[in-house]
Amino acid sequence: MTLTGWEAVFFWIFSSAALIAALLMVMARSAVHAALFLISSLVSVAALFVLLGAEFVAGVQVLVYVGGVMVLFLFVIMLVNVGAEERGSERLFNGQAQTIAAIVFSLLLMVGLIYSINQGFRGLAERDSTRLAEVAERRAAMSERLPLGATGSAKISRDTEQIGASLYRFAALPFEIASVVLLVAIVGAVLLARTRKQEAASGDVDPEGTT
Amino acid sequence: MNPIFAGDAMRELLMRELLVPEAFFFALQSPANNLWNQIIHSGSAPDLSKFLVVGALLFVIGVAGVLTRRNVIVIFMSIELMLNAANLNFIAFSRYLQDTGNLNAVAGQVFTIFVIVVAAAEAAIGLGIVIALYRNRATIFVDEIDLLKW
Repeated sequence: MTLTGWEAVFFWIFSSAALIAALLMVMARSAVHAALFLISSLVSVAALFVLLGAEFVAGVQVLVYVGGVMVLFLFVIMLVNVGAEERGSERLFNGQAQTIAAIVFSLLLMVGLIYSINQGFRGLAERDSTRLAEVAERRAAMSERLPLGATGSAKISRDTEQIGASLYRFAALPFEIASVVLLVAIVGAVLLARTRKQEAASGDVDPEGTT
Repeated sequence: MNPIFAGDAMRELLMRELLVPEAFFFALQSPANNLWNQIIHSGSAPDLSKFLVVGALLFVIGVAGVLTRRNVIVIFMSIELMLNAANLNFIAFSRYLQDTGNLNAVAGQVFTIFVIVVAAAEAAIGLGIVIALYRNRATIFVDEIDLLKW
């Protein structure tokens, strides 16, 4: 899998956008700015998903992460944020020694990860070098056979169809478990975020006996 | 691996699509300035390893955010970033499996959907905890939440 031509150009654009937005997210003074930088990073990663041929996951990423999770984050920032960080009266980062140790650890992690990725990829490329070339032809022939879209300028990908089929056939049990996890998360979030007054109104017993 | 995205192809592409004048490339390829050559000739075509490196860098940025920031909400955002870096690796390997023979491999993409589901659940619960914490302790800075510290 080697991206060529415009795909390669877009890879460099979107990967650098994702990394720069992530760095700005970590360093942003205001939490709202951090959320907006995280949104741009997530959208850039969604564009990388499209480059990798995972259109459905890119759509899910934009809808669920950017449309759902990040809006939730923004609402909580609105409810909670004290603004002390923005005014400069509160420190942004932990103590100096702790921050330096964390950054050194992150740099070590980065060096180790990149070294091991390059080492491992070299072996992988050696093993698959002949296979990649011959499968590339088969893949090109397969994408030739895909039906044309309504405008006639692009082909209709089978990505979504395949994911749907394997979600309901091979991953049916994890799919159901995921739905239960989401239900528990909704109920838990509602329970955790209730005020004392709402708890009293619901008739639950207050463990501290204050109501 | 043949350098498909090598200098000549890149130059032709830029000249054809963006109408970049040819003199621009002569200026870039002067002996004093061979950085351009190094960048576009030294196997820098985006393949699997490049995607993995981008994922690793996103993950490291997330780790640094978790370890250095004081604001709980920004720490949660850094965790989302780390999960997303893992997703990028899953998708890249899914594409790699498709390109090495298993033409219908979508297991990585299916797993990514489950990771996104778990991330959404985690964000809902975590932000509920943040709201409860702020109501009880009036702070969202992790170094001021020290009830368990002796």
